[in-house]
Amino acid sequence: MRRILLFLVTFLPVATFAQGFQVNLAGQKQIGMGHTGTGLAQDGASVFFNPGAVAMLSQNSIQAGISPLLFKSAFNPAGTNDIYRTSNEVGTPFSAYAVWGPKASFWKVGLGVYTPFGGLTNWGNNWEGKYVVESLNLKAIYFQPTISIKLADFISIGGGFVYNHGEVDLSRAIPLANASGQDGQAELKGSGKGYGWNAGVYVKTESGVTVGLSYRSKVKTTINNGDAFFTVPGSLQASFPQPNTFSASLPLPATTTLGLGFYPSKKWTVAFDANLVSWHVYKALEFDYAKNTSALQDTYSPRQYRDAFSLRAGTEYRPVNKWAIRAGGGVASAAARNGYVTPEVPDAKRYYLTGGLGYTLANRLDLDLSFEFEHLFARKQTNIESQLSGTFRSNVYIPGVSLSYHW
Amino acid sequence: MNKIKNIFLAAAAVSAFAACKTEVKTTEPTHGSADFSRYVAVGNSLTAGYADGGLYLDGQQNSYPSIIAKQMQGAGGGTFTQPLFSADQANGSGYITLTGFDQNGSPVTAPVTSNLAIRGVVNIPSFGNVTTYTKYTGDINNYGVPGIKLLHITLNTYGNLNGYFERLLPGNAGTNTTSYLDFVTAKPFTFFTNWLGNNDALGYATSGGAGDVLTDKATFAQLYTLLLTRMTANGAKGVCATIPDVTSIPYFNTVTPALILANVQKANPAAQAIYINAKSNADPTGTAYAARPATANDLITLTFPTSKIGQPVASAGNLPYGLTPLTPIDNQYVLDANEVAIVKDYVTYYNNTIKSVAASKGIAVADMYTFFNDIAKNGLVVDGVNLNAKFISGGLFSLDGVHLTPRGYAIVANQFIKALNAQYNATVPLANVAQYRSVKFPN
Repeated sequence: MRRILLFLVTFLPVATFAQGFQVNLAGQKQIGMGHTGTGLAQDGASVFFNPGAVAMLSQNSIQAGISPLLFKSAFNPAGTNDIYRTSNEVGTPFSAYAVWGPKASFWKVGLGVYTPFGGLTNWGNNWEGKYVVESLNLKAIYFQPTISIKLADFISIGGGFVYNHGEVDLSRAIPLANASGQDGQAELKGSGKGYGWNAGVYVKTESGVTVGLSYRSKVKTTINNGDAFFTVPGSLQASFPQPNTFSASLPLPATTTLGLGFYPSKKWTVAFDANLVSWHVYKALEFDYAKNTSALQDTYSPRQYRDAFSLRAGTEYRPVNKWAIRAGGGVASAAARNGYVTPEVPDAKRYYLTGGLGYTLANRLDLDLSFEFEHLFARKQTNIESQLSGTFRSNVYIPGVSLSYHW
Repeated sequence: MNKIKNIFLAAAAVSAFAACKTEVKTTEPTHGSADFSRYVAVGNSLTAGYADGGLYLDGQQNSYPSIIAKQMQGAGGGTFTQPLFSADQANGSGYITLTGFDQNGSPVTAPVTSNLAIRGVVNIPSFGNVTTYTKYTGDINNYGVPGIKLLHITLNTYGNLNGYFERLLPGNAGTNTTSYLDFVTAKPFTFFTNWLGNNDALGYATSGGAGDVLTDKATFAQLYTLLLTRMTANGAKGVCATIPDVTSIPYFNTVTPALILANVQKANPAAQAIYINAKSNADPTGTAYAARPATANDLITLTFPTSKIGQPVASAGNLPYGLTPLTPIDNQYVLDANEVAIVKDYVTYYNNTIKSVAASKGIAVADMYTFFNDIAKNGLVVDGVNLNAKFISGGLFSLDGVHLTPRGYAIVANQFIKALNAQYNATVPLANVAQYRSVKFPN
């Protein structure tokens, strides 16, 4: 049965990787108000929303919050009545801020640690798209020291430097069956870093309306020497050398936000934010393996994202001294174009509704609770690269809690 | 303390949402104007689930008719019974497995010889030896018989000549008088798939145009009309499939003249050509053959033992095999350019017949000819898997280079389902191709 040659393993682990899934969970008060806050000077979360407003904060503060996130996505392959669902795994976006300045001074410094991008999607290893992705865990943690200066009573500016620590853990099946018919497995796991900056300006107008404009730069995050694990049938292992490493870079996009604050009464705040995320920087995803073979080539996956926007509104009412109730909502456009939606991040147009409750636990100590429900509109897609075809439907449930101490 | 309590609260809140299900509305499976309550499959080895050079239990369980029947379940499909080999004779006729790769990266295979269902070998006078298999008794929905041609369906003695058909019949080889057509139409059915006709061309092609003949065109048309008339006599609906271009399969495209020559040139850089014994013209009735250098248009079979190349041929003054006009590669290993033209002409005729007869009966057609040609040319991406018509690495074809892998059969099943959904306004759900494997690799 000897036959001339002929075997080149040509199974490319076609790279698919998540878009940086944008997570808008940067402060419990702001979540409760529909993610508004750029035009307000509410608390330490201004470090994120608008560093220009930090100098206008009346107090020094330290705060930390967490928003356990449950992303529930379902996929119905085209032409079938099958339904696949992501498993119930809880992401943990968090935020922590510290703001300090001398009393009645014209400046303040701040530090923010927050997770503006991330994704946690686990479709399991037995679903129709397993060769595209089984699971993805992507985290970006930004560390942002900030300084803010009050130029006059009505205007302040601020800016910060951003260091990003990114982590990725991506698994997918490889269509190479072993003697018992089981698939191979690929796992790419690594961490990397990136740098950026942000800046903002905050203005109190004569009419009492407050206005904020902030910009967060692109953060190009580079992963070097990530681990590339390939489990394949023993007779093919030579084509997938182990150990192996990969490098990749992922541009996390710039964000520009304009925010407005209105104060109909002493107890009542209304806020609006308009937000533009410059996703167009995410053109493609490339994986560069340290060891290549005819079967394991470096890969290039087009993404071709387009800029996305969101419009948000929120309100806070303080009926009595110790309590605050908040509500808000917004809509957001999709960054992934038709044909480029992937199951790691089944991007789609979406709306969200939020609510929140603030309570003064003790003098100087606040507790804030938030809840968000986010609905992504059903999106029927055939991915150009993988030809995975079907309809994605997703809902996101995000409760959250934070504590702040201020003085 | 409070913070801990709050985290508990938040955790409780999250687990409550875990119970919420994202609502999904899917299309209800419906049967449209067809009735799937008793579906039967008519065809050859492809229908039986033949793979890796044999018929065995795992292949049977992944046959495309069994996949179609499974998908029909929600749309009024009845039980679907296949003439399976028993678990202790699971290896059926025997088959080949991949055991590894040699230093050149060439696949090394070995036959599976244990747990076979072989009953014996019977000599049929004026025909030859027929291998028989353990009899199957019981209901049958999958009538796939490896090796059968359309030409054979009315032959009363066919149950004595084909061990796979004999296996389904009550009588022993030598005593059978039931034709295939009578056998499959004996019990009423409501729906059928029909993928007969491949072997009428494939038998000629895989023997290099030497060991078999193409079924006469007029005979093909007459038998196909008879077949569909009988299949639809009681109002059954169904799907017929066209015959893939037999020259687009890995059996003919893996070992190429250029490859053999390149290998020869490693040892002997002066070698200019390899020689084949080729048909002199494209007249099907012609018998003139002559040696000539092989070109890219000549197809070498996958079964050609390449080790023969360069061996001294005693009957020709010890000249090296395959390298001189006096010692060409034997006809049986080569489907030369003229033979290719003849096969293509016949397959085109057969397919036009299939399409026109099916149309005259209002029967759906799954155009496998177009589908597989497109795969050979452009490949196919399904659920993130890149498939093509290459040997082993292509994912569609099993180790014999002719029959399909379970994944290939699932893709074929989906082509049938798409055709019947379109014709009968049904919504039979497609099979999940990712769930079916390709070639197994040794650990």
